[in-house]
Amino acid sequence: MRKLQLILILFLFGQVASASEVNVYTSRHYDSDDALYEEFTAETGIQVNIISGKGSALLERLKAEGDNSPADIFFTVDAGNLWRVQKENLFQSISSKKVLDVVPSNLRGPNDEWTAIAKRARVIFYNPKNVSADEILDLSYEDLADSNWKGRIVIRSSSNMYNQSLVASLIANLGEEKTESWAKKLVSNFARTPQGNDRSQIIAVANGEADIAVANSYYIGIMLSGAAGEEQLNAAKKVKMLFPNQDDRGAHINISGAGILKNAPNPENANLFLEFLLSKKVQKSMVDNSFEYPILKGILPSDEIASFGLNFKQDQTSVKDFGELNPAAVRLMDRSGWK
Amino acid sequence: MNNFSLWKFSPLAVLLIFTAPLAIVLSSLFGQYTENWSHLYEFVLLDYVSSSFFLVIGVTVIVLIVGTLTAWIVTNYNFFGKGFFEWALILPLAIPPYILAYTFTGLFDTYGDANNLVRSLFNLDDRVTVFPNIRNIYGAIIVFGFTLYPYVYLVCRSAFINQSKSMKEAGKLLGLNESQVFFRLGIPLIRPALIGGLMLVIMETLSDFGAVDHFAVQTFTTGIFRTWYGLYDIQTAMQLASLLLITVGVFYMIERNSRSGIYSSSNSTFSPNYEIQLKGTKSSLAFLICFTPIFIGFLLPIIELILWAFEVNLAFFSKKFIENSLNTIGLSILTGLICAFLALFINFSVRLEPKSVIKRMSSLLSIGYAVPGLILAVGMVQLLIYLDSFTTKIDIVLTGSLVGLVTAYVIKTYALANSSIESGYERISFSIDDSSKLLGSNGWSMLSRIHAPLLKTSILTSVLLVMSDVVKELPATLILRPFNFETLAVSTYIYASEERMLQAAAPAIAIVLVGLIPIILLSKMIRSSRMVQKNV
Repeated sequence: MRKLQLILILFLFGQVASASEVNVYTSRHYDSDDALYEEFTAETGIQVNIISGKGSALLERLKAEGDNSPADIFFTVDAGNLWRVQKENLFQSISSKKVLDVVPSNLRGPNDEWTAIAKRARVIFYNPKNVSADEILDLSYEDLADSNWKGRIVIRSSSNMYNQSLVASLIANLGEEKTESWAKKLVSNFARTPQGNDRSQIIAVANGEADIAVANSYYIGIMLSGAAGEEQLNAAKKVKMLFPNQDDRGAHINISGAGILKNAPNPENANLFLEFLLSKKVQKSMVDNSFEYPILKGILPSDEIASFGLNFKQDQTSVKDFGELNPAAVRLMDRSGWK
Repeated sequence: MNNFSLWKFSPLAVLLIFTAPLAIVLSSLFGQYTENWSHLYEFVLLDYVSSSFFLVIGVTVIVLIVGTLTAWIVTNYNFFGKGFFEWALILPLAIPPYILAYTFTGLFDTYGDANNLVRSLFNLDDRVTVFPNIRNIYGAIIVFGFTLYPYVYLVCRSAFINQSKSMKEAGKLLGLNESQVFFRLGIPLIRPALIGGLMLVIMETLSDFGAVDHFAVQTFTTGIFRTWYGLYDIQTAMQLASLLLITVGVFYMIERNSRSGIYSSSNSTFSPNYEIQLKGTKSSLAFLICFTPIFIGFLLPIIELILWAFEVNLAFFSKKFIENSLNTIGLSILTGLICAFLALFINFSVRLEPKSVIKRMSSLLSIGYAVPGLILAVGMVQLLIYLDSFTTKIDIVLTGSLVGLVTAYVIKTYALANSSIESGYERISFSIDDSSKLLGSNGWSMLSRIHAPLLKTSILTSVLLVMSDVVKELPATLILRPFNFETLAVSTYIYASEERMLQAAAPAIAIVLVGLIPIILLSKMIRSSRMVQKNV
């Protein structure tokens, strides 16, 4: 009976602390990442404990837990949520020289609160059958408001955080007023009410339902790799990817990043974990599986992604802007009728 | 006297604990109101409200038609396949709405499997689209309608079974035809049960985020999350959720009040039902009416999931399947038992003291079903942290433990347990209580020795209903779970959120398989209740 009680208690409160561990709250969840975490444990003997979920929800749990939070690392798929944790003053500065040496300062927090782990571009996909070379010459996000795109553009709902970051970056660069009139015209150019995910936008272009789509770069990589099935592979072959704004500020870049929390119970392990994620071997394996862009110089993205070009110009708009302007971006999209 | 106050105060204490997270959510109404309110009011609130309203109306129409009609047919007629339909009609309960939404897009998108199939069958051009776009509110109505109608079917069926043959005979003698018997006698008499089942459907529809988000339909609930994730404004999000809660609460109260006094628990003139044998066209029609909802709500998604799973990721079944299934099953059984016990305990207490505050608090707990899981989870986290601050100053014990998770599940699914046990109690005559009191059986012994055996079916139903819902639960699980703890729904989400539907298919099938366990047990009960009825 005693034993049963013990088992029940362990089941209910069963967070048996292991001597060497690192606790990660993450909104990234790829199988390939899990494999990397296992490798980290094999190399260092440090157990990686994971809770995954939406960035906003994890942040709320983190805030409530306060000083007693068991979390060591907060790992996000977008800049906005990194900025929010930073603003709540929940991060400590990263001290590892190994990290600071390899990550450019514009891909770290202002006081090294966080570091980017991988990058993704929000780019334009077009169907060469339906779009002339002329039309896409030096194409920018701003050009998508032109009337010649009427009824030809697909993009997903404004509830999507990548769209919110994109619009926030436009507000940072163009100001709110210009961005709003841009958004209104863009909405009037939609081929259909926003629906589905990034991939369904690419598929819509492949199928000729629309001529251009705005979506994240890595999706085309997944589709081309065949991991998403025959049909998506065929669809992906029909479209081309284009980096917008190459004449001015460059294509919109978002980051997946991580930081060590102020009250991390295992700060040394957390440091080791970040160093591991930014090691050459792991960066290569990460981008090969997730089709993102690497942070380390000298590492190439996956073949599928590299085939679209490597030396494109990347927007340097700061992550702080994405975070700070995100609510303004959402309100602006509401006002513009972007569903 | 002491005995009675025990029955009064202990449920009160238990209810206080379970309603606390809801109270935390509601307390946001007394907090600050940000400038986002005027923005919401001016630009989007009306859209959110009207699309939620439209959604609820549409879903109501579908579940009422499908639920009552199928229940009436399988109860009163005999036709080919009837024995199968009797229990198979509840199978869609094993399919979470968000999974039906995913599979529907896989099937009916322009280049989805259904459109491709028809094109290749009839040699049609690539640009021809046979099935209409379902990524809109109509698609959402179909998804909720065909996954949730079993709640209406279940209550209707058990109510129809209890309708006496003599009533229908009297109706026919007075010149009513078959359909008039259905509309003018069958339906009005089961109205309270019907509305009870419908309330469950409406609450689940309103609280859902996964399916409507996938279809990009802007409902009130997607508005709540947009406010939280996009405007970074959890305060306003909680206030919106509170409004939703209050609205549902008002309807719930109206329904409760309209109910009182309608019942009669006297079965003295009951004569068992008989079945009319259907032949020819009528039999085919009955078959078609019963088969269609099972096809849309169960077979179609299963077929699509199996097609997907075979393309990739069958490895899931060897790697994580066992562990995640055991987690899921363990949690659902635990929650089912707690909910059933709680509902029994509370309903017993209300029976002893019908006008007590316990009844109101039980209603509050019931509308917990309408709270979006993630919002409930936030209330839960805050409560747990508060409780943790009492237990120990250094460590967090409750937060991120299964205690928090199970508590959230109980709040989320209590309505299911309560509805079944409440309607079970309504069938127990008060004279039984009086007799048992005369024989010296009070309080605990009355509950355990008289009521519990009489309520056996209701208790089991409530455990199984709760189980089937917990298996599907996602948002609260995501945020409240301990480290490295995955349920089947979590594994599905992990793939689906990255738009990898093919990989998501294997865990989704696992959800359905595990979800089928309580459903099949429930089906068995339906069949055996039928036997019992025949022998009355």
